[in-house]
Formats: sequence, C-alpha cells, structure tokens
Amino acid sequence: MRRIVRIAAWLYALAVYGFIFLPVIVLVLFSLQATSFPIPPFTGPSLRWYQAVLSDTRLTSALVNSLAVAILSSAAAVTLGFLSAWGFARFTLPSSTLLRGLITLPLTVSYLIIGMGLLVLFNWAGLPKSLLAAGIGHVVINLPLCFAIIYSQMGDHQINIERAARDLGAPEWKVLLLITVPVMAPAIFAGFFLSMTFSWDEFVISFLLTRFDTTLPVEIWNLLRSGLNPKTNAVGSLVFAVSIVLVVLFELTLLRRTPA
Amino acid sequence: MSTVTNSGRALPRAGRALPWALVTPALGWTLLFFVLPFIAMGFSSLTAHDGGGFTLANYSQFFTDPSYWRAMVNSLQVTAIVTVVSVLLAYPFAWILAEQVPERWQRLALMLAVLPFWTSYVVRSYSWLLVLAQNGVINRTLTGLGLVGEPLQLANTRFATVTGFVHFFVMLLTLTIFANLKQLSPSYRKAAADLGAGPVRTFLHVVLPLTLPGIMVGAFLTFVLCIGDYITPQILGGNNELLMPQLVMMQIGRRGDFPLASALSIILMAVVTVAYLACARWLKIERA
Amino acid sequence: MSAQTTNPLSILKRHLRTACAATALLLAAGSAQAADLNALIWCDHADPALLQPFEEANGVKVNVKEFEGTGAGLAIVEQSQPGDWDVMVIDSIDVPRGVEKGLFEPLPEDKLPLADLFPQVKMDGSTVVGGKRYGITEKFGYNTIGFNKTKVDPADMQSLAALTSDKYKGKIAIYDYYLPVIGMAALAIGKKTAELTEADLPAIKAELLKMKANAKLVGEVTASQTALATGEVDILVGGGEWVTAGLAKENPALDFSIPKEGAVLWSQSLTMFKDSKNKDMALKFIQYIMSPEGQARLATSSCYWGMPSNTKAALTDDQKKTLRFDEQPDFLARAQSYPAPNADLDKKMQDVWTEMLQAQ
Repeated sequence: MRRIVRIAAWLYALAVYGFIFLPVIVLVLFSLQATSFPIPPFTGPSLRWYQAVLSDTRLTSALVNSLAVAILSSAAAVTLGFLSAWGFARFTLPSSTLLRGLITLPLTVSYLIIGMGLLVLFNWAGLPKSLLAAGIGHVVINLPLCFAIIYSQMGDHQINIERAARDLGAPEWKVLLLITVPVMAPAIFAGFFLSMTFSWDEFVISFLLTRFDTTLPVEIWNLLRSGLNPKTNAVGSLVFAVSIVLVVLFELTLLRRTPA
Repeated sequence: MSTVTNSGRALPRAGRALPWALVTPALGWTLLFFVLPFIAMGFSSLTAHDGGGFTLANYSQFFTDPSYWRAMVNSLQVTAIVTVVSVLLAYPFAWILAEQVPERWQRLALMLAVLPFWTSYVVRSYSWLLVLAQNGVINRTLTGLGLVGEPLQLANTRFATVTGFVHFFVMLLTLTIFANLKQLSPSYRKAAADLGAGPVRTFLHVVLPLTLPGIMVGAFLTFVLCIGDYITPQILGGNNELLMPQLVMMQIGRRGDFPLASALSIILMAVVTVAYLACARWLKIERA
Repeated sequence: MSAQTTNPLSILKRHLRTACAATALLLAAGSAQAADLNALIWCDHADPALLQPFEEANGVKVNVKEFEGTGAGLAIVEQSQPGDWDVMVIDSIDVPRGVEKGLFEPLPEDKLPLADLFPQVKMDGSTVVGGKRYGITEKFGYNTIGFNKTKVDPADMQSLAALTSDKYKGKIAIYDYYLPVIGMAALAIGKKTAELTEADLPAIKAELLKMKANAKLVGEVTASQTALATGEVDILVGGGEWVTAGLAKENPALDFSIPKEGAVLWSQSLTMFKDSKNKDMALKFIQYIMSPEGQARLATSSCYWGMPSNTKAALTDDQKKTLRFDEQPDFLARAQSYPAPNADLDKKMQDVWTEMLQAQ
C-alpha cells in the first residue's frame, strides 16, 4: 500500500515536472533552429538567432533599460518600504492599521489597472510617457511587497538590540544604519530581489507608459508582433539564462547570510 | 530627522516627527501614484470619448452590450477554471515535495519546480504557442505515435489560454502551499495518529484545514493576477473570445478611448474587490 | 552582413558600458533631444535595415513609436506636447482626419517624386486637402484572400463566397483588423466600401459572423502569418502580398488572389507635423523613404512586405515577382478603397467587430 502511494507520488511529480519544463525545453531547443520557423522538425543546432539578438540594438538597449528600471525602481521601493515598515513597527501611530492597509492595497489590484490609472493621470497632468513613468509604476507595485516582507520580519528581538544601542547613546540615525539595516538585511535583500524580478518581467505598465525607449518585455512583444521567428526563442533563452544566474547569486548570498 | 536625534534614548518615543517622517514617503507615494490615478480614472470614466461633459454612457455600454459583459463572463470563467485546476494540481505536488522527497533534496526539488518562473513572462506564453501549435511538439508526437489521425486544435483556444495560465500558477501555488505544509508542526499529525486517526482522516481533518489559509492566499493571488492579464489570452486564445483585459487594451490600442477603457478597468477592479472581501480574513499580513 | 562578422561578446560589452549612460537617460527620458527625429509609425518602419542608412547619412537618431489604428495614433499625438512628433505614417484615407485637427504641415510637392507614383495610389482625394498636399502615399497593397495554393482549389479563391462555404470550415484565419475585413464583408454582400453607412452594418455583421463560424482564429499580423505559414490554416481573410510575399522564401506555396467581387486597397501615407521642431530633417526623411532605395527597403521590410508606391523603386527582379509588380494595373483597377468611417460609425464598426470576436 505504502509502496503504491510512493510510486504514484513519484509518477505524479514527474508528470508535473514534465508539464512545467515542456515549454522551456521547446523554447531553448528551437532557439537553436537553423531555419526561420521555430516549429518541428528541428533543423539546428545553429547560433545564428543568438547573433541576430545580440546585434539588434533595439533589443540590447531595451535590455539595458530593463536593468536600469529594475534596479532603480527596486531601490526606491525597498527604501520607502523599509522606512515605513520601521516606522509602523517601532512607533504607535494613529490609525496605523488603516494606513498599513493603504500601503499594501496595490497588492490586490491588477497591474493593468495600475497602469491604466497612471496613464490617465499622466495624460491629464501633461507628463510625457517615458521609462521614468514606467519606473514610477514599478515602485507602486513593488512598494507594498517590500513593505509587507520587511514589516513581517520586524520581530521583538530586533527591538531589543535597537534599544540596547540607544541606551548606549547612539543617535537614531546611527541605530537605523548600524543596527536596524544590518539586522534586517535578509528581509531588505529579499524585498529588493523580488522587486527586481517583478520589474524585470513586468509588461503591461511598461507597455502603457513608455514611448521610444522601452523595456525588454515590451520589445520582445514588438518582436513577436513583427513575425514568428527563432529570434524570440533566442532572446527568451537569454533572459532565462540571465535570470537563473541572478537566482543562483541570490541563493548563494542568502545562504551565506542565514545562520544555520 | 536631526531634530530628534537624542530624544529616543530609552524608548522609541521619538516625538511625533520621526515616525511620520518614516512613513510619509511611502504613504505619499501610494496616495500620489495609486490613489490619485484611481480618482483620475474614475473621473475619466464619466466623460465622453469625443470630449463633452458628464456621461454614464461608458458604463451603460458595458451593461447593455452583450459582447462587452460577455468579456467579463469569459474572464470569470477562465479565472475560476485556472484557479481550481492550479490548486488541484499544485497541492499534491507540494505535498509530495514536502513529505515524500528526502529533506536534503527538498530545496533543490523546489528550485527545479519553479525554475521556468524565470523565463520572461511574454516568452512563456509564446513557448506554449509553439508547444500547442498544429505542427507543434504535442501534435507531432500524437500523430507520430498514431494516437490521433488529425492534429488536434490546441492552440488558439480557451484550452490554450487556460494551459498557459495554469503553468504559471502551478509554480506559484506550489511555492505557497509548500511553505504552508512545512510550517505545520509534525506534532499535530502525531497527535492525530495517537488518537487513532488514519492517514486519510489525519489529512482531511488536520492537515487540510491547517493549510487552507495558505491555499486561500495563493488562490487569491492567482485570481488577481489571472483576471488582469492581457498577454496570455492575447497570445494563446487566438481571439476566438475576448477577456476583459483584451477589451480594455482594445479601446486604447484601436481608438485611444481612455474613458471607456477607464470604465472597464473600474468594473474589473470592482470584481477583484469583491473577491478580496470574500477571502479577506485569510489575507492579513501579520508580524512574526 | 556586418552582423555576421561582429563578435557578439564585444557588442554586449559595449552595451554594458552604456548602462551608466542609461541611468542618466532614464532621468532625461521623455524630452527627446533636438537632433532626434520622432516618428509615429507602423511596424514596417521599425526595421533597422530601413532606418540605419538614413541615420548614418544624416547623423540623426530616428525614434519610432508603433501604433495600431488611426484613432489610437491621433490619441497619442493629442496626449503629447506640441513639437514632440516630426513625422507620422497614417492610412492615406485618414489624412483628412489629422488635417481637421490641425496637426499636419503641407508638403512641398516640387521636392517629392510625385510624378513617379502609381497614379491610382496618389489618392489626391484624401492626401490633398483644400488644395494643399498633406500626405504622400509610400506603400500599398490589398486586403484580400491569402491562401496556400497546394491546399485549396485556387479557382475557389476567385470568389469571396468561398470564405463562408462549408468546404473550408476550420481552415480559415481572419486578420484581426476591423476596417479592411469589414470592407471585404461589404464587398461580399455587394456594397461599395466607400459608401458604407450605419444601415449596412447588420448585413455586414451577418457576413462576418458567417466567416467567424468558419474560422479557427482571428489573429494580428504575426498570429495570422504564422497560422498560414505553418499550415494551421489554409486561408487568411484580409491577407494579401503583405503576408505571402515576406514568407515566400519559407513557404513558396503561399499566394493571394483578387476575387471577382474585388479587394480592399490599403495605402499608407507619410505626413509631417505642423509643430515639428525639425522640419528640414522630417522632409529629408520623407524624401529618403520616397527615394528608389528607401522604397525598396520599405517594400521588403521585415515586419511586412508591400508594394512601393514609387514605380522606380529599386527592387530586384525576384522581389518584383514576389510582389507581382507587373500585375498591379489590373489589381488596382479592381480594388476598392479602404473604409473611412467618421468617428461615430467607426465606434459602431468596432462594436460589430467585438461582437464577431465574442461570437462562439
């Protein structure tokens, strides 16, 4: 009986793994296609589509844009999120529950609606579309996330360390920089990293709010709209590779930071 | 902040200025770039596309034109199917990872399970198109093995849209449910066993109820992300039906009709709010 | 090609070095530099093979923004600051809409190769308003029946009735753009595309629903191209040389016909903005696109192919054959104009289209 359960469990897990990996395998395989259509039969391997991606300035500059937007907007989101989490966790503020609710509210709203709202607002205010506008949108979606992560990790033992520092005469800014930030580093880092991921992969807000210079997902969308070719596979595989490297780096740093 | 440097020596009762200085930037950002846009969208939804004053025409269009509210019905159907299927697929998978996989391999197994998460989101749907196409991998395999005579129509259908969504949300839900299962103290299960409950009853009466909040959080996330997504149905659905986000984007893309797009967004938002209220009690953010 | 000889790594490195510059760019984004040319375009103009020669020859950067329908394009302009845009690509038939809004600058006829254009596509009825020329047709083609000649009977493709017959049920894709396909539905029921009114919509809708019942998908440029090229469908409603020509290399079995009821002529024009801060460069750009070299590059652009409006376009014989260059006089004689509804009818047409998409 236990044996049967075990075998069934393994079969099930294998099937789900298969389902999860099927599109990735197809994506990567046909990025190596030698002919112009990324469908069977496989005609590769060939690296011509990778070359095409790397020599396409629109794609490469979109990649740089995406990185810049992801880093800057995540830094802003994590800073605002950290400061407010600290404020709410350490001090009693009037109608704190309501205000915390307000900060986390964007988590429950679709990106499309956030993008639409900003589009209407910026139009109305006469602000031009730009990467900056998209970055502002990315802070809106990531700030509640950073806040929630950091706030949930602010426990009592950290309060005690801070109190000890204050007792020793440390001014508030020193407590913040030398005690709170290092102690909260894993949560801050997790917030930053998650924000990076979401910003890096976000489409609809960037699509609605940018004009000439745009982010990689939007440029991939444009590429997709202009014809089906293995170049899309190649750029997708490259993004996948870059993301994996980032994840592994993150895992390594986090593992190093977390005491066993 | 310099004004309060020394006041908080013993306890964090640092006057009123410091705490407000800490929380105001985040609150201000949320008000300025989240609440205000929402208000602007509300006003916009009450104006006519070709200028002119107050009108409810954008809302009445939605409620009176069957092809418009059909989009909402489609969206709700697709989202409901996706949420249920994803939970049903992910729960046993997360359980296997948490219970059947040896402890030392769990981290790796979980990492592998969410690895495709890191392919670009636009590209993920596109990959499914390649998989499901008439001459795609699945159809080639099925016809090659002689299982079907004619290739099946998989791409450009609701089935394709649902598959694309389920793929993403199985990964997401596996993460949240796995975390939930790991938080369960083994002593609960032991206690249930000591009281004579078999594995099935232990699962039904102990494990499942205790993991339900985690499932609800995941299901709600699935709902919000799924109902607002434009890319997946646009790439995989073949426009054989429209979902709400497609209808919204159509107003902007084809005619630049912001008022109608705003009205449709607000209606979509209202539906999400109802869903939020329905699962609100599971969604509280608590401090550790 | 230089792309083949350049080391990808060095290109990547160069771009990483510009990462810092991108930060500054992010802050300055929105206000494009004076030396840039800002163009509101369709995807065929985004092809580097078309833009780079111009950018290099004139030391200018061409910023492009793609848009879908004229309504959306005009909305983008209205939401911008005056002077943000220099040139725009627009349906020839819609040039008057921009002129009405006071957006466009008259073009100097003596500096443009008007005499070399196919006379039928000059479309002076739309491109000339109040005696002044505001637009010049740069590219044209047909929304008609695109098909795979090895899979369907080419004789059937001589009538639009084939699109609603049971014979090709499930073998059809519909191009997802409402104006030309509504035009084709109008032709199918014997209406003139130039004279459509609201009263024609019910009959047109019925025709569209019949097509939808036969269709496997309704797709944008890529989706419909792909479906046809990969054998997912055999017929594309609204297709034409813009689908089949670009794919001729991959799939030489693709062809198009002008059925006996006629076809819809699409035609895109170049216009210049009245508030452009860079009118000299804008004119140079238009002159470049209209030149034989520019015309050849535009006609064979990576997004979609199309007939160059300039008869002197520097196309190779193979390219001309693919585009069926020599058959144009006959095609043009049988083609009807693109539907040009006013704002009200436009909205109603889109609602009909939405209904068609939602029909099960």
